[in-house]
Amino acid sequence: MKKVGTPEYDLSDKLKYHISALSTAAKEMALPLNITTHYPRERKRQPDCFRGYMLFDPERCISCFQCSFVCPANAIWMKDAPSGRYYPTVDYGKCIFCHFCIDSCPGGALRTTKIHDVAYKTMDEMFTSTEEMIEPPEIIREDEGVVDYVIDKEDLSLKRTKEKDELIVDIEPSQGVPMVSVCVDRGSCLACKVCDMICESGAVSSVVEEATMTVKMAIDAEKCTGCGLCVKECSMQILRLVRK
Amino acid sequence: MATVTEAGKGEAEWEVKIPEKKLKDRLFYENLKAMVIDTQMCSRCLTCVSICPSELIVNEEDIVDFPNYEEKCLDCGACVRVCPRYDYKPKSGLGDYIEFTAGKSKRFKGQDGAMGTEFIFSAIDMGLIDRGLFVDRDEQWRTSVFHVRGKEQLEKLPLGGTKYVFADILPELKKAVMFSKVGVGVVGTPCMVSGVRKLQEEYPVFREKVKLVVGLFCTENFHYNEVSKYLIEKGVDFSKLIKTDIMKGKFVATMTDEEVKFKVSQLTSILPSGCNVCTDFTAVESDVSVGSVGSVAGFSTTVVRTEVAKEIWDYIKKMGNAEVGEGKVEELDFLINHKKEREKNIKQ
Repeated sequence: MKKVGTPEYDLSDKLKYHISALSTAAKEMALPLNITTHYPRERKRQPDCFRGYMLFDPERCISCFQCSFVCPANAIWMKDAPSGRYYPTVDYGKCIFCHFCIDSCPGGALRTTKIHDVAYKTMDEMFTSTEEMIEPPEIIREDEGVVDYVIDKEDLSLKRTKEKDELIVDIEPSQGVPMVSVCVDRGSCLACKVCDMICESGAVSSVVEEATMTVKMAIDAEKCTGCGLCVKECSMQILRLVRK
Repeated sequence: MATVTEAGKGEAEWEVKIPEKKLKDRLFYENLKAMVIDTQMCSRCLTCVSICPSELIVNEEDIVDFPNYEEKCLDCGACVRVCPRYDYKPKSGLGDYIEFTAGKSKRFKGQDGAMGTEFIFSAIDMGLIDRGLFVDRDEQWRTSVFHVRGKEQLEKLPLGGTKYVFADILPELKKAVMFSKVGVGVVGTPCMVSGVRKLQEEYPVFREKVKLVVGLFCTENFHYNEVSKYLIEKGVDFSKLIKTDIMKGKFVATMTDEEVKFKVSQLTSILPSGCNVCTDFTAVESDVSVGSVGSVAGFSTTVVRTEVAKEIWDYIKKMGNAEVGEGKVEELDFLINHKKEREKNIKQ
């Protein structure tokens, strides 16, 4: 085993470090470095995909429940819309901003914004309905500039710019992993046709042939969006999602 | 979630054979209702309830029912595929067996159920199954089913004790099969055993997962609502009830301070109609049957029928978990014949 002791400096090293410390102190006296952001008059610039308040596009939603299923905080509740479909609602009192919902959304219906500072008057208000998620919330801004932290070799410095950062950014919706539903145990299929009824994209078909008393079941891989609704609903649990 | 390699196993197109309808142009549930439920043939084994993808239930009168079936029935035919009484082939007698013997569990106390419990737990110990289904009861002697996954659960649960009341085992069996990774063991009355075998015949997932079926000797079984009303009339206080038993033709309810006894034949007024057409006393389709008839007091007659059960029985003997006694085949004859006589009640 090797013992680690205090480093040994000779006189020239000691002198060098002392001068360096004194010069830093002198520099700070003349030009003080401040790395505190003066919020709300200025904002820190965040990366485009920084996890914040979520927006929802019903056009892209396939009502697959994946977001509410994957949510570790149980913050997403699917509610039925007048159109007969189910759309997500988010309880920001529970949301931990992990954005697993956005990452797992097969249609890219959910997207993030750079809104991180949200205020509510009551707990009930934190429950955000689908309608409230479609349009961005009312934003009151006092900021006139953005700050960027610049990391150079020796120090962290602040760069102030007189401009407003765009809080709602256009990001390409995540493509996800293309999945397709398959039956892994056709012998145990009840032919209850629940998968056919639940499928939003018309990928599952079931045809009853009265003459031979058989039901022809089929999943069209082309049409299947991999939403997993049939996998969840199958009463015998014999459907699986696999990579396309 | 399945991996890429498993994708090859998946099917994009498949065919499912559905049974012929006896009543054409009617829903399968209507067929089941007309052929089994309305004809008083239903044993209430709940095989249909367990497999139904919709909302087939048991109603408050302990009858299999499907409210609003015109809308909700998916007409898949699963209920008639699995119903042991839809195309009823009554079984009777002692059936095939490898070993006719008797045992008394050292680990579990109680009546005949203790030997069933011993079989399930030994199978868990052997690693043959990872889940067993047991019937528990509350203070009002209502039954409930719980899943046992290991020895550590033993101490907490009041096992054993004959209930003479139907339990909803099969709907739980389906859940157990879905959760189980190795296999499932189940204890049931002859009608439930037939239901399990029917499920295994029709659906590979049950064939693969249900490894051990322990049958109980059964002359008849009662519905909770009816039997509880009857017993309260007889003066049985459920809060003091310790055990119920049928001995020498008498129903005995032992309470903390007294005993209520009456002839079993008096119970015929509340005998479920399904039992009236049941001819199977020994659960001939099970892997192993247990019951008190045919052995001395304290022991349970054990009829080992299949290789799997034989393996477990050998394990029990090897580990010394049970005392081995002697079974007397001829003592069963009376009840076997008694149940065989019910054949005449079956209307074709």
